[in-house]
Amino acid sequence: MNDYAISVENLTKFYNNFSALNNISFKIKIGDFFGIIGPNGAGKTTILKILYSVVIPSAGSIDILGLSPANDAKKIKSRLGVVPQDDNLDEDLSVFENLMIYSMYFGINKKESFRRVSELLDFFNIAEKKNSKVGSLSGGYRRRLLIVRALINSPDIIILDEPTIGLDPEYRINIWNKLKLLNKSGITILMSTHYMDEAEKLFRNVILLNHGEIVLNGSMDHILNKNNNENITSTTGNAVDKNKNMNNNKSLKSLEEIFMDIVKNENFKSN
Amino acid sequence: MKILKVINEINSNISLRFYAVFYRDFRVWLKFYKPSIIGDILEPLLFLAALGLGIGKFIHNVNGTPYLLYIIPGIISSSSMYAASFEGTFGSYTRMTTKGIFDAILVTPVSIEEIVAGEIFWSAVKAFMSGLAVLLIAFVFFRQHISVLSLLIPIIIILNGLLFASLSLFITSFAPSYDFFSYYFTVAISTMFLFSGVFYPVSALPAIIRYIVYIMPLYYTVQITRALFLGRLNLLLLSDLLIIVIFFLIFFYLSVYFIKKRMIS
Repeated sequence: MNDYAISVENLTKFYNNFSALNNISFKIKIGDFFGIIGPNGAGKTTILKILYSVVIPSAGSIDILGLSPANDAKKIKSRLGVVPQDDNLDEDLSVFENLMIYSMYFGINKKESFRRVSELLDFFNIAEKKNSKVGSLSGGYRRRLLIVRALINSPDIIILDEPTIGLDPEYRINIWNKLKLLNKSGITILMSTHYMDEAEKLFRNVILLNHGEIVLNGSMDHILNKNNNENITSTTGNAVDKNKNMNNNKSLKSLEEIFMDIVKNENFKSN
Repeated sequence: MKILKVINEINSNISLRFYAVFYRDFRVWLKFYKPSIIGDILEPLLFLAALGLGIGKFIHNVNGTPYLLYIIPGIISSSSMYAASFEGTFGSYTRMTTKGIFDAILVTPVSIEEIVAGEIFWSAVKAFMSGLAVLLIAFVFFRQHISVLSLLIPIIIILNGLLFASLSLFITSFAPSYDFFSYYFTVAISTMFLFSGVFYPVSALPAIIRYIVYIMPLYYTVQITRALFLGRLNLLLLSDLLIIVIFFLIFFYLSVYFIKKRMIS
């Protein structure tokens, strides 16, 4: 059996003449907590949208749970949970109605939907808002509701596109804790963020994107541990990262510092 | 050949799951149904009162039919056209863009084909409610003058709703903003309302305009609805029915194709 939840090879995406993604390859193991980090416009959202089949790649191959998005989009979507960057909750409906109707899109029967909705609302501590209109909810509640909605079909993989953007620290930590619990329960998580503290706390494996290319690919432990530099894949052959890290053994660099070094160097090279 | 391939692909991506999209729209409508129903009843009533009672004083009959009875089938057809068109343009556009409802559904196993089918079906149901309201009013006030064949009119209203919902979704597929719909309503919908035989026989128009009327879908709905309402059936109505179905299928596939192009990049 395939050990990977997602395999991406040589993924490329052009929007007219603009190259949004250039030859991206990575693999995500089943049960992983995998992160995509990078500055705005790096191509994070494009990768995620390709994976959940709303953007068609220009080239490359994708395997999700042994299925191909080109031929099995419906089957894949029935096993995915998606938390988009833009809040697209149904403003006209209550929290409960949002979830019940969303479960209809997956063909879940009413009795089972009711059970799942009640369970998930309790798990995310928003049961007291069950009958509230979505429009009256605060940002934190709305974000949690988006995650609950993504879990309604008991997915094998959850894809989250910057799920904590703009939230208070309290709400962010709350969401982190829930995501860790979900991952522990066996759900593979793929998440993008540009918060480095978030990436350090959550991800086991990570790719760093810049200008549509992977500039760093490895496990979070290895990236943060300078003594294991050789395990970091600098896909563009960027020697500066390693040298810098080796010369600065006095204190551990944070992900943010590593990130800044690479982005600065990549930008310098491209200029 | 390419067209057949596209049609086959669209057909293969449609299942009964489109019902969930329809149900979502229906649930939202239930929250605001009172003003909607009042509008459905009041607007055609105003038309009937103003034109039937007002102009009817001067035009006693058309081809032997009292003027008020002559225009009722036209009002049934046009009110269902307007209901489907408003829902398929402003309603669907809002759900597709500002509210992000289509985006939310697209990440589920519901296909874009099913989203469009659900939207069209919902618009057709709204058209049905609107046309049925006029028909019921007619039954209440003019029961003794109406043919029993009028019981078949709801089927025509639903077909008319499907047709105009599909046409409207097609327009919505390339609408850049709400303002775009004012062109559609002025150029297409209002023109059909005024020239498709709702208020007078198309035979009264100059030949050149008549030929333009024959490409207007509403003309065929009015023809059939009037024939059923007054009990004047003839075999030519079957070709009118076929034309309505063909118009519907053309605009259905066009709307799916172009909305898919817009939503999936």
